[in-house]
Amino acid sequence: MSRPLLVWFAVLAHASLAFGGPQSAQQILEESQRRADVKSLRYEGLLQVTSSRGKTAEKRWQLERVGSQGSSKIVFYFTDPPQIKGVAILIVNHPGEKSDSWMWIPAAHRERRVDLESRSRRFFDTDFKLEDLEQRDVEEYDYESTGQADIDGFSCWIVRAVPKSKSAQHSFSRLYIRQKDYAIAQVEDYIDKAIVRTLKFGDIQKVQGIATPHLIEVADLRRHSSTTLKLEKIQYNVVLPDEDFTIAAIKRSK
Amino acid sequence: VNLVRLISWPYACQHRLRLILTASGIVLGVAVLVAIHTGNATVVHSFSQTVDRVAGATQLQVFASGSSGFSEEFLDAVRQRAEVQVAAPVIEQSVNFGLQKQESLLILGVDMLADSNLRQYDIDVGADEVADDIVMFLAQPDSLIITREFAQQNHLAVNSQISLPTAEGSRQFTVRGIMRPGGLASAFGGSLALMDIYAAQEMFGRGRSFDRIDVVLRPGFSVKDGQADLARVLGPGFSVEPPAARAQEFESLLDAYSRNMNLMSVFALLIGIFIIDNSFNVAVAQRRSEIGVLRALGATRRQIRWLFLIESTLVGLPASAVGVAFGLLLAWGSMKYISGFLQSLYGFSMVTKGIILSPGLIVSAFLIGVFTSVLAAVLPAQSAASIEPVRAFQKGRYQQLSLKEHRIRRAAAVVMGAVSAACLWAPSSPAAFYIGYIFSVLAAILLAPTVIIWLARLLRQPAQWLRPLEGTLAADSLIAAPRRTTTTVGALMLSLALVVALGGVSQAAYVSVQNWLDTTLNPDLFVSSSDKLLSSRFLFPSSMETELRAIPGVADVQGVRTVRISIAGSSRTLIATDLVKLFEHIKPEVFEGDLQRMAQLASQGQGVIISENFSTLENLHLQNWLEIPTPSGLLRLPIVGVIRDYTSPKGSLLIDGTVFQQYWKSGELDVFRVYLQSLASADDVKRRILENSRDRREVFVLTSRELKAYVLRSVNQWFGLTYLPILIAILVALLGIANTLLVSVTDRRRELAILRAVGGLRRQVRSIVSTEALLIALIGLVIGIALGAGNLYYALQIARRQIIGVGLSYQFPWKVTLLLFPAILLAAWVSAVWPGHSAVRQSVVEALEYE
Repeated sequence: MSRPLLVWFAVLAHASLAFGGPQSAQQILEESQRRADVKSLRYEGLLQVTSSRGKTAEKRWQLERVGSQGSSKIVFYFTDPPQIKGVAILIVNHPGEKSDSWMWIPAAHRERRVDLESRSRRFFDTDFKLEDLEQRDVEEYDYESTGQADIDGFSCWIVRAVPKSKSAQHSFSRLYIRQKDYAIAQVEDYIDKAIVRTLKFGDIQKVQGIATPHLIEVADLRRHSSTTLKLEKIQYNVVLPDEDFTIAAIKRSK
Repeated sequence: VNLVRLISWPYACQHRLRLILTASGIVLGVAVLVAIHTGNATVVHSFSQTVDRVAGATQLQVFASGSSGFSEEFLDAVRQRAEVQVAAPVIEQSVNFGLQKQESLLILGVDMLADSNLRQYDIDVGADEVADDIVMFLAQPDSLIITREFAQQNHLAVNSQISLPTAEGSRQFTVRGIMRPGGLASAFGGSLALMDIYAAQEMFGRGRSFDRIDVVLRPGFSVKDGQADLARVLGPGFSVEPPAARAQEFESLLDAYSRNMNLMSVFALLIGIFIIDNSFNVAVAQRRSEIGVLRALGATRRQIRWLFLIESTLVGLPASAVGVAFGLLLAWGSMKYISGFLQSLYGFSMVTKGIILSPGLIVSAFLIGVFTSVLAAVLPAQSAASIEPVRAFQKGRYQQLSLKEHRIRRAAAVVMGAVSAACLWAPSSPAAFYIGYIFSVLAAILLAPTVIIWLARLLRQPAQWLRPLEGTLAADSLIAAPRRTTTTVGALMLSLALVVALGGVSQAAYVSVQNWLDTTLNPDLFVSSSDKLLSSRFLFPSSMETELRAIPGVADVQGVRTVRISIAGSSRTLIATDLVKLFEHIKPEVFEGDLQRMAQLASQGQGVIISENFSTLENLHLQNWLEIPTPSGLLRLPIVGVIRDYTSPKGSLLIDGTVFQQYWKSGELDVFRVYLQSLASADDVKRRILENSRDRREVFVLTSRELKAYVLRSVNQWFGLTYLPILIAILVALLGIANTLLVSVTDRRRELAILRAVGGLRRQVRSIVSTEALLIALIGLVIGIALGAGNLYYALQIARRQIIGVGLSYQFPWKVTLLLFPAILLAAWVSAVWPGHSAVRQSVVEALEYE
């Protein structure tokens, strides 16, 4: 199982530190999660996917999320280019169970279920995975501190996260967590001993007091493709009613 | 080897034409065998290759009972199983369209989000990477990915528009990607297109249903375990099989055809045996003095026997090789023929490119040819080996049958005839039936020489009346040497008997189907999504029934849903409609039950009506319970009636439309039976229906006459093989009679020379030979037709018990029989040309010195 990106988002979001003294890797991750815990989230994203052939495609979406840690609901609304305007994706996470996902395609006038299995693979032909965009439980991994390193001038703990599930796609991930604010600076996914994917979190700024990356770069080292997500207009703890996270709601896509 | 070089080779060089004729028997047999099996194997291979390539990494495929499809909710049920890693829904449908290079395009509707885990779409060119961008692709439901081969053949590129027929009329689709050749792109001969499954649902009017689910299991789960679990969870209304099982099911559809064609190839080889036997008998006759000299010089019987067996092997080797080559050429035709009737009968479309060569088949066919050739020469070789040097120079007498031999043959024939007749008293025993059949044929073969003499005596008088000299001499020649004629007449008899039997079955089936069409397919118009009723491409909403009823001139409309379901391992057709209304319009022939009562019970969901052929093939009768697999579980219904219905070769079932909706959860329909008001013109209403549907949905409107013509064409296609035995019979007549006459001319060299010496004209000699040919043909025709008339009974029984399950009434095929007379007599006349020429060419002086 690869690293859930939103966990790292959440960790990033609580950059303020009130922490000191030696900690175990598990404690570092729990603190990150605690700091990242927000009731809701909204942002606009610009997605740039560069294929292995060197062609780049751009899409814009608006993401809304309510809830956290395994019981969240997420909606993506694609806004650009015009061909995909109105396409929406709804993800409903259930604690300890597989998530439910639907996609609304206005031109086809119907919603469709998204194969749950595919979330561990490429998310809609980006280098993200669907599970990267969900909030997962820290308890799904075993952690081990493996040292320290500097990322973009920030001292980071290096934590090795090994998924407990035997069907996980990656053997382990290596997380670089900033000591200053517990924000994740980088994630590396490994299969056996080979690095297969990297996620870099850049332009970390405080939003509503939460350290938040405004640029995420993902590179698939096997496919030689990369995806960049620029986050704009980030808002935390906005009022998002539950009824906005239903199939009926995405059919009224914005 | 020396004997072969010194004796056989010069003889072969001297009789090249006959050698070719002899070999042609084996060529034909081997060619038919190779053509049939290669054509068959090619079609099956093409289908399984398409299945295999489309399947990709799929380990199991989930189908609802038959071809009905199933609602989307079952996809969730499959995805939730612990052993399922990927479950991807699929809609698969071939469509005909207007592009010039191909007639059929296989549309594969897939869930692109899940499907990349199953199938590799190796995209070559995409418009701004649209084909690589799943959101972009899905957001535009007109997106289509085609193969490079298809694109090149039809001059298409990315962003090209293709007009395809859909359930809502013709629609424009946009090529958004082109697949590289190989793998999935080579399925269906490259005539393949991918589209999003939800777009395909709309295109084919599938509502919210899928055709199947392709499943990949998680590591650690075996296919067997996954199959068992899914089958248990989904229930008996679903089949869960590995992709290869589809090819097996497809192959089983060819069963009846394969059996027919195997019979033909065995028959062709049997005729080959007769021809070779005949030719070698001729050779033995012509070389009697040679054999006598060899024997007198010390050659052993064994050497003589081997000489002929080696000769037959040397004939068999090249003949078999030519047969294989010829068979491979014929295989193209055979392949097209099989593809054609599979499409018209079962709605399977396929694209076959090139034939599939099976080394095993080629070697086997070659060896069978050589073996047959050797086998056919065993008796003539034995006959040659048994020639005493002293008798070798006595002309003609060896062609006579002794009284003792006559008596033995007659006694054996009577015994076999009696056994055959006795077997008729045990009609339910298949063993007794087949023994009876075989014995009846053997009895006919044994009686042949006696009958030849009787008929020759009978024909002597009319022959004499027609041609006083030539007729008498020709008939006398036959009476004097029945052995010489027996093989040819025997072969002719068997081939003609087959023609008559098959012709009788075809005619009976044709008449029976025609009667059924007249009583059952009596609506004025049929509205379907295809010009072939059994391969409807789209489903219509049930609301269309009301729309059609509102069209001026329409008196009544009845919607019908037809699906294929599997019962007892075979594919049956299930017809769902308002049965009470149906039986108000049609009065089918009832075999068991009362029509009104069965309609009432079935319409109340309290019973199922089955066709006669289903009843016969599965031994199911009134009040037996039938378990029908449905997507909602097993539907158990008692049989409330057995009627005549030829919708499916393996049988059909009729249930009420409401029961279908309840169990299949589908209200869509595929055919509408439209009854017109008394004064309405069918053409006018047809035009109105088409106008009404224009730009809304794709419909085909067939008049009753057009539909009947289509069904009868299919029947004719199925029974078109009747004409193959006629060709074989003509060939037998040509080869066998020519050979027999050559022996006759050789045997009667002196007799004919005397005739010429006393003033007989060459024309008269030729006339004697041709009259003898015509008499042989006539005798062959008479006993062949007589045997065929008997065989027809057995053929009808075999058809009923083993093949189609339909009791056909005995109808003698007069038309085919009457066609045989001129064909065979003409063949006989042609076959007499060369022997006649040979008879007049010989020197009178030498011929007089012959003995």
